[in-house]
Amino acid sequence: MKIAVLVKQVPGSESPLPMVSSQDWLDESQVAYIMNESDNYALEEALQIREKNNDGEVVIISLGPNRIQKVIREALSKGADRAIHIQTDGSYPTDPLVTASLFSETLKDENFDLIFSGLQSDDLGFGQTGVLLGELLNMSTATLAMSTEIIDNKIKVKRELEAGYFQWVTMSLPASISVQSGCNTPRYPSLKGIMGAKKKEINVITPPVMDQNQSIKKIYAPNSAKETVMVEGSVDQIVEKLVNIFRNEIKIT
Amino acid sequence: MFKVIGRGTNPIDWKQVMKNWPKGLAVFISQKTLFKTRPVIGAIHAGVAWGFTLYLLVNIIDIFYGMIPGFHFFPNHFIGDFYRFFVDVFTIIVLVGIVLFIVRRFIQKDKLLVTNEPVLISDKAKIGIKRDSLIVGMFILFHIGFRFIGASFEVAINGPDWSQPGATLVASLWDGLSPNALIFGEHVSWWMALGLILLFIPYFPYSKHAHLFMGPLNYMAQESRRSLTTLEVMDLEDEQLEQFGASKLEHLPQKELLDGYACIMCNRCQDICPAYQTGKELSPSAIEINKRYYFNENMKEFSNGAESADPLSQWMLSEEAAWSCTTCGFCIDACPVGNEPMIDILRVRQNLVLMESNFPRDAMEVFDKIENYGNPWGMSPQDREKWTDGMDVPKMRDKGKAEYLYWAGCSGAYDDRGKDISRSVAKIMNEAGVDYAILGNEESCTGDSARRIGNEYLFQMQATQNLETFEKYGVKKIITQCPHCLTTLKNDYGEIGADLEVTHHSEFISQLIKEKKINPDNTIDEDITFHDACYVGRHHGEYDAPREVLQSVLSKDANIVEMERNKEQSFCCGAGGGNMWYEIKSGKRINVERFEEAIDTGVKKVATSCNFCMIMMEDARKVTGQDESMEVFDIAELVAERL
Repeated sequence: MKIAVLVKQVPGSESPLPMVSSQDWLDESQVAYIMNESDNYALEEALQIREKNNDGEVVIISLGPNRIQKVIREALSKGADRAIHIQTDGSYPTDPLVTASLFSETLKDENFDLIFSGLQSDDLGFGQTGVLLGELLNMSTATLAMSTEIIDNKIKVKRELEAGYFQWVTMSLPASISVQSGCNTPRYPSLKGIMGAKKKEINVITPPVMDQNQSIKKIYAPNSAKETVMVEGSVDQIVEKLVNIFRNEIKIT
Repeated sequence: MFKVIGRGTNPIDWKQVMKNWPKGLAVFISQKTLFKTRPVIGAIHAGVAWGFTLYLLVNIIDIFYGMIPGFHFFPNHFIGDFYRFFVDVFTIIVLVGIVLFIVRRFIQKDKLLVTNEPVLISDKAKIGIKRDSLIVGMFILFHIGFRFIGASFEVAINGPDWSQPGATLVASLWDGLSPNALIFGEHVSWWMALGLILLFIPYFPYSKHAHLFMGPLNYMAQESRRSLTTLEVMDLEDEQLEQFGASKLEHLPQKELLDGYACIMCNRCQDICPAYQTGKELSPSAIEINKRYYFNENMKEFSNGAESADPLSQWMLSEEAAWSCTTCGFCIDACPVGNEPMIDILRVRQNLVLMESNFPRDAMEVFDKIENYGNPWGMSPQDREKWTDGMDVPKMRDKGKAEYLYWAGCSGAYDDRGKDISRSVAKIMNEAGVDYAILGNEESCTGDSARRIGNEYLFQMQATQNLETFEKYGVKKIITQCPHCLTTLKNDYGEIGADLEVTHHSEFISQLIKEKKINPDNTIDEDITFHDACYVGRHHGEYDAPREVLQSVLSKDANIVEMERNKEQSFCCGAGGGNMWYEIKSGKRINVERFEEAIDTGVKKVATSCNFCMIMMEDARKVTGQDESMEVFDIAELVAERL
């Protein structure tokens, strides 16, 4: 079984997020980058399938400037076999169709049985790359996977729906599946893994420049205004006031 | 036995060990390491030990006496009389002592000698310790007893001897026996006393009585560590290394295998272990006991090179036990024979982290946070110097160079109470006109928690980064209020090769007061208690400085009221060794146990000199419902408020 995992490097949730003066992106020099959270789960899912089958290859695919080699190495140290780094200079696509097209160009001859990706990236959050890639490569696709199981050359996926419902779908391979955070327990790399990762192959390729259908005009930090209201009175009064606030001000129905 | 020990790594340099003989002899004679805890039992042991040692000489003389007709040891000479008197007295001391020990174990059934559930302890050991103790007790009792009776027969034959009052007293029992009967009795006694030794010798390697030689030897073989917890640095680049940490016995250094033979299973380490005392799965003595019973059962195979049972965390100590250790260091400090169970624990952790990636989830998050943000809180590295907002605190990047680096550490930069302490320290240094600066956002976690949890790789990454920053500003002297940073910067970085003079804020403030650079008002007129941090006290040897600082702000009506366990005997707050970051659910919480001791003093103010202790005490204050009535301070806060 040949499995690709799409891994993205994104700003950490606690990272400082200073903007460049043109206000269309972050000043990357001050950002603390980490592996996109759901990609970590996608990687774990791939590694577990490989371990279960005792055979196969897990290949990391990542797109971005040279700094992303940090997360590529991290993924390799956790047990992926090799990596493809689609190298972009400073500006990388913010249009998911372009991203997916670059991936599909790179992967079309690799003939992967499975492509795992995180549900969405924690920076742009389109949640489309995995699905688009599946379509471009003519694969079955599923999103929001909570668990997966390979049965007779097919894959059974448990998908998370709204309001606590789940859906089970069985799809033929090859398939591209985007994975929900929390679906497994990602591992921490062993020292052997970290040392071994230094010797693993990262194939760096430079893609052609593609026109984007969409781009970012402006980013800004939302104003976070915190207001504390003290609700006072007898217990009954407090309950009544709280219900009123929930119903009319916060609008919980 | 030595073939078993030889299976370990890091060969013991026996020549070097033998050079330590004065140290070994001094402890053997003084028995001083037995008095750190359980002084009464220690005293009885000293009597038995001295007497039994004397018997090494006695046995040799007795062999001559029995084998060479007419041989007597300086008969009618003051040396001989002195010898006989000495033997007589010590015989009685040993007999009384060993009877007391037998009574304590088998009749009184002292709970201290048993390891409670839920600690993992070999079934063989549970029965074995009792049996072994009985055999050893009886051996000593009968060996010495028959020798004594033999002496009494001799007195009965030759007439009363003023130099052997004990034997003379017993000799009166034999009044009326024929001379032949007396000679027969003496012969039987001689054979019994010496024959028992011959009988006992083959059993000796399997008995805990081996501690007689292995204890002092182990004490002499003890490595000199920079601090109780500082391990040697791993060469992570060495591609020959296949194993990091220990998952099998043969991964442990020879010294730590010797520990198993030196252990007499007295459980002193268990008495004072914060994890054991709060009902967790860890007992330091169980580690050594399990080790020893493994040796006993597999002596032949193991000494001939067979692989030992893998992994240690299945049989030597449970995984939970390994994670329960707070690295307070008391087990090492309390051990009379120089055993280091805590070091075994650290090595087992290294294996679990570096080889198996098997450790508490919360610790994994902490590793990620340190790696990504440079602090275990996982807060923005750009917010590190926020504690200085509104204060005049010089930064290295502005100042370029300063005599002292003030290292606030992650807890001093991100934890709310920690920030109070950092501001207090800065205020004190400003007041005293100290030439200092902070690294601010250029500071990054020292790697203390990472290293104690077993993540040597992350520790070395952090160390490399910080040492580069020190290099950039020519940092030589560091002041910190965080004892964990202190230990790591001073000792663990020292092990890497750094040469930093690191001072704890208690020492520094105490010095400022002595030099009259600051004069805090002594306006506290309520009694106060002080909690010793393990990494200031046991690991750094400083007990007085924080008390001096505290004294300087107390009015003449107020006193420092010590908790029951204080100074060298102090009890951990529960945060060390990474336990700050994950919770061992079983048993009682260690910080609550400690805080209740503070409550028992009856005072309402608790002072600490460690950020982690502060967090633990603050938490326990709330858990025990004392949030209204009691207060916790750092010594620096008390001083800064009074400038």
